[in-house]
Amino acid sequence: MSFNRRAFIGTAAAAATLRAPMVRAGSHGKPRVVVVGGGAGGATAARYIAKDSAGEIDVTLIEPSRSYYTCFFSNLYIGGFRTIESIAHSYGTLASDYGINVVHDWATGVDRAAKSVALAGGGRVPYDRLILSPGIDFVAGSVAGWDLTSQNAMPHAYKGGSQTELLKAQILAMPEGGTFVMVAPPNPYRCPPGPYERVSMVAHVLKQSNPTAKIIIADSKANFSKQGLFEAGWEAHYPGMITRIGPDFGGENVTVNPAEMTVDIDGEVIEAAACNVIPAQKAGHIADLAGVTEGNWAPVNAVDMSSKVDPEIHVLGDSAAQGDMPKSGFSANSQAKVCANAVRGALTGSRVFPARFSNTCWSLIDADDGVKVGATYEATEEKIARIDGFVSQTGEDAATRKATYEESLGWYDAITSDMFG
Amino acid sequence: MPVAPRPLTVALALCLGWAAAVTAEEETEIGEILAIEGDPEYGEYLSSECTTCHQASGSDAIPAIVGWPQEAFVVALHGYKSGQRSHPAMQMIAGRLSDEEIAALAAYFGTLAP
Ligand SMILES: Cc1cc2nc3c(=O)[nH]c(=O)nc-3n(C[C@H](O)[C@H](O)[C@H](O)COP(=O)(O)OP(=O)(O)OC[C@H]3O[C@@H](n4cnc5c(N)ncnc54)[C@H](O)[C@@H]3O)c2cc1C
Ligand code: HEC
Repeated sequence: MSFNRRAFIGTAAAAATLRAPMVRAGSHGKPRVVVVGGGAGGATAARYIAKDSAGEIDVTLIEPSRSYYTCFFSNLYIGGFRTIESIAHSYGTLASDYGINVVHDWATGVDRAAKSVALAGGGRVPYDRLILSPGIDFVAGSVAGWDLTSQNAMPHAYKGGSQTELLKAQILAMPEGGTFVMVAPPNPYRCPPGPYERVSMVAHVLKQSNPTAKIIIADSKANFSKQGLFEAGWEAHYPGMITRIGPDFGGENVTVNPAEMTVDIDGEVIEAAACNVIPAQKAGHIADLAGVTEGNWAPVNAVDMSSKVDPEIHVLGDSAAQGDMPKSGFSANSQAKVCANAVRGALTGSRVFPARFSNTCWSLIDADDGVKVGATYEATEEKIARIDGFVSQTGEDAATRKATYEESLGWYDAITSDMFG
Repeated sequence: MPVAPRPLTVALALCLGWAAAVTAEEETEIGEILAIEGDPEYGEYLSSECTTCHQASGSDAIPAIVGWPQEAFVVALHGYKSGQRSHPAMQMIAGRLSDEEIAALAAYFGTLAP
């Protein structure tokens, strides 16, 4: 979308007299909340505000997709533990049972002075409070040789749905003994253990279908989330299959060639049978268009997730620069509930309780070998600050690992019903 | 005449890391914890932290926690808080809850139909 904010403000006066075509808003005196992005943060915020205000607040959710494919458990789909249908969710219940006005369109601009959101399909949606939870976009030029036009040859599979299916098809089509290359992202990015869980799941598939295949990870980071747990797991389940090239061996010096399907790591050219490029990340573009980003992310106040730039805009989930929480679906969901309580309080005078946040990220290394890391957080003046946490241990017994995996199945069902009703 | 402590009092004493032979002072303290009247509205807000993992119907590995008698709920959470019940995520979560917050959660979850 090449809609810039200045152009939008320029046309705002003219557009003000046009009625939004598909949005019922402003026709009555109820306060209006508009949520952009129906993912872990946005769907949760919309549902909690609608549910708890019991009709006192008019909630509009703007989301282009009719089905939300979770990124969480998308690695399990790659590993053959889930079907793609089992990680797809619709917005039907949010509309029918919670009275949320679900608009399937892209938000293309935010006019902060007029307090309205522009839609790609035309029209504007006015708000009293705006909640942005647009997930991530990629930093252009972060991987030499790769841009968005390369995503079919070398998928990122770091947004849900078709990219994940494409990557899985390419893994299954790898010739015998071929090499899977992952270009891992620099910090910060969504789901810190995500790339390494993915490598585990790719190895799980290849071990069965293509046991002489190899996996190479080019990584610019010196270390990564749950590293000891993953490396011990790889050694136990997939000995000799996975090689990670860190910055000490040139892992940050990578150029890809999507046309030739080659990857140059510090001067050594590798032929890739399949290649997963996960670029550097930034806040979803609409946060830039709204003018609430500083650098790559949108800074927020921890107490209510309000933007440090505009107190009537809240930013949730991956897009927010909030402090210590990892960018995860669990975190986005947790932040959404704090935000929903504060927004409802501001608009209707309902009770506002102190912010509290928590996160747990499970990862699957092989069948029944699950690990987890979690923490709780509080709001300080400065940021969301970590209080306390836990992490799985290397050398845990098989029963513990299996129980951890089974917990993740319960969590998946719980968080998706918390998001979508 | 000394009255034998109620089973729940003993359970809570154990949860707090005390001996089952509860002293009179301890019994008073336990009585106070169990007597806190929870604020269900605060409990509803706090419950949103729980529903990310606990579905109303429960799952194989994450039990349902709705519709419990309030005192049993309070005892279970103090069990995690004190470490008598072992589970890293639940210990971390309960470890942050005050006695009032535990009572609020018990009051709220207790009102939900199992
Ligand atoms: C491989 C992988 C594995 C993961 N595993 C886990 C896990 O196990 N546990 C976990 O907690 N997290 C996991 N995550 C992270 C998790 O998916 C994200 O952190 C989470 O989805 C962030 O929520 P969000 O609301 O910020 O963004 P999203 O959930 O991405 O939602 C953003 C939504 O906004 C919409 N949108 C964007 N721009 C616009 C616009 N202009 N107008 C309208 N709509 C817009 C998008 O269509 C999208 O639906 C994983 C991620 C990946 C990639
Ligand atoms: C990270 C996921 C997670 C979150 C968040 C969570 N729980 Fe739990 N909870 C579990 C798991 C897993 C168990 C089972 C633990 C065990 O085996 O002892 C459990 C067990 C319990 C039990 C004991 C159930 C029984 O049948 O004995 C209670 C009570 C409970 N949780 C309450 C809560 C409350 C209240 C909250 C919110 C303040 C909460 N939990 C948040 C995962 C979670």
